[in-house]
Amino acid sequence: MIAVVAIVIAVALVLTLWYYLSPVEPATAIEKIKNLAILGAISGAVYALLALGFTLIYGVADVVNMAHGAFYMLGAYAFSVFLTNLGYNSITNPSSFLLFTALILAALSISLVGVLIYRLLIHPLMGDTLSVMVVTIGATLVLQQVILWRFHDVSMPVPKLLEGYTSLLGVKVFYHDLLKFALSLGLIAILWIFIERSKIGGAMRAAAQDREVAMLMGINTGRLYMLTMAISASLAAIAGILLNPPAASPQLREWTYPLVMSFAIVILGGLGSIKGSLVGAFIIGYVEYSVRIFFPGMSFLQVAAALIVMVLVLIFRPKGIFGKRVEAE
Amino acid sequence: MIEMVGTFLRRIYSSFATNVLDVPPRLLAFLLFLVLLFLPTARLEERILRIVTIACIYAIFAASWDLLVGRTGQVSLGHALFFGIGAYLSAFLSKFYGLPIWATIPLSMLFCALVAVLLGFPCLRVKGPYLTLVTLAFPLILSVVLFSLEPPFGGEYGISLSRAQSLLPLNAVYQQRVAEYYLILFLLFVSAITLYKIANSKTGIVFISILDDESASKASGINITKYKLLAWAISAFFASLAGTLYAHYILTTPPTTVLGLTTSFYPVIMTILGGIGTIYGPIAGAFTLWSLMEIFRFTEELRALIYISIIIIFILKWPKGIAKFVVEKLDELTEKRELHEGEKKK
Repeated sequence: MIAVVAIVIAVALVLTLWYYLSPVEPATAIEKIKNLAILGAISGAVYALLALGFTLIYGVADVVNMAHGAFYMLGAYAFSVFLTNLGYNSITNPSSFLLFTALILAALSISLVGVLIYRLLIHPLMGDTLSVMVVTIGATLVLQQVILWRFHDVSMPVPKLLEGYTSLLGVKVFYHDLLKFALSLGLIAILWIFIERSKIGGAMRAAAQDREVAMLMGINTGRLYMLTMAISASLAAIAGILLNPPAASPQLREWTYPLVMSFAIVILGGLGSIKGSLVGAFIIGYVEYSVRIFFPGMSFLQVAAALIVMVLVLIFRPKGIFGKRVEAE
Repeated sequence: MIEMVGTFLRRIYSSFATNVLDVPPRLLAFLLFLVLLFLPTARLEERILRIVTIACIYAIFAASWDLLVGRTGQVSLGHALFFGIGAYLSAFLSKFYGLPIWATIPLSMLFCALVAVLLGFPCLRVKGPYLTLVTLAFPLILSVVLFSLEPPFGGEYGISLSRAQSLLPLNAVYQQRVAEYYLILFLLFVSAITLYKIANSKTGIVFISILDDESASKASGINITKYKLLAWAISAFFASLAGTLYAHYILTTPPTTVLGLTTSFYPVIMTILGGIGTIYGPIAGAFTLWSLMEIFRFTEELRALIYISIIIIFILKWPKGIAKFVVEKLDELTEKRELHEGEKKK
């Protein structure tokens, strides 16, 4: 309820601000609002995919995983590496089979990286939040150095998953973007069903509620956390592949941006809450696109705008929109 | 008269002997301090001297972080905010208002303490990981804002200062570096002692009680908000000292450096590496980190890869921190020696 009110107020604020700063004809205004509605939804869906992994590993294992941005970065790289090794060249159009094989292989290999990081670095320090944070920052820097060392002079084009575009409500929408939207929402739905219906999902929810009791009920929490980490890493990797601007080589050092974005989304929605990160992702997506569409001259402010919205929400709801209320300790 | 001076000196020496020389960890710290004190006499390259100086600046920064996080348990991932505000404000005042450094540095430090208190009010509603992640946002927001304000703040490159605005402007470059090194080392010494004294004072004990059990300390009649804000203010005060020193040493304030994510991460890494909650830990961590960075300079390509891996291994091997580990070992040794001596006497 509060989320809805907050969104309405934010939208109204942005629109009035925009109206007074740069008055335009109503026709253009409606055009821009339509643009915002569609593009914001698309980026929101991919952000949700990105943030879900972060909130999942926090909710289940109480791990603030600073390497989440690294998984995103590695995902895009692994995707282009698999593509080139599967015989893709930028002249002929790749078949969609090739693209999806590369996508799945990339997600699987990054989930392996996630499992390794969990096993080698996080598991020995479990329970010490700060040390876990530092070693995952360290892991991120190491992975970034490996990428820099190995790929610093290689340009690797990432193609669009689908060519062509269509028109939706009079707005030009690429098939690639539509696929992004559908794929993200599809994966989120699968994950939701997995957590709510399957036995392992039940174990995850149990471990999230009370680790010790879950262990007493015979749940192997170590293995469960490893699985959660694998899921979380592969979600980040897929988000990295989808969010990368098509036909541009994945940029170096781009782990900070996705990491900060996942923080903002997850904090906004409430740490550990899947519903919360969905809502948070759409809010952040819309905020970013409203800056980009309504104030094109100030698009460098989009990250700052997202962070300011996060801070404002937190001042009024210290545990995020769907987070647990502050308990009487 | 001479006799009086003599007894006075003897008293100082005896208190020094009981307080420092007889306590092995303190003796070790004292020896390391002596090494730092006589370092410039080894006629080092200017580059090395510069690196040691910057390590000293970051040691102040990390120690200030430790007072806040190690003592009160409020994890801040945005300490670059104070570093950055200190650097920018001091550079701004000395460049555009022509104020001397001895005025701009204290002014910026006081301003940062004020900022910390003002930000603290809304932030204290937020707890645990929420606080950690929300503090991360502040320096990033400020860096974007400063980045976009090209005319006064220099945009991408920050405010550039002239050589006359450096810490100790001397004619000879090398002598200036040595003089600045001693000044910064002195400030590190003073701030480390001050922070250590605060951490072990009555106030420091209250800080620990907040870390251990917030509700229990509240129930004991402690004004938690006041003490939390106090911790923020003290920490910001010293963090901004590091920032101002950095600005007047490097002579620019690039926003991506002084307000960047890396600057926020540095004190966390140094403190965990050295040992949290100890004040001497982060200082040891800062010097360890910087020497590791320098040792592997022979392989430029793999340098960062190697030293970060070594730091990760250190943290996995000694999760309590290197300095804490060394201190505990030394204490064990003295205990054993005392036991041994006791047996001999029997």
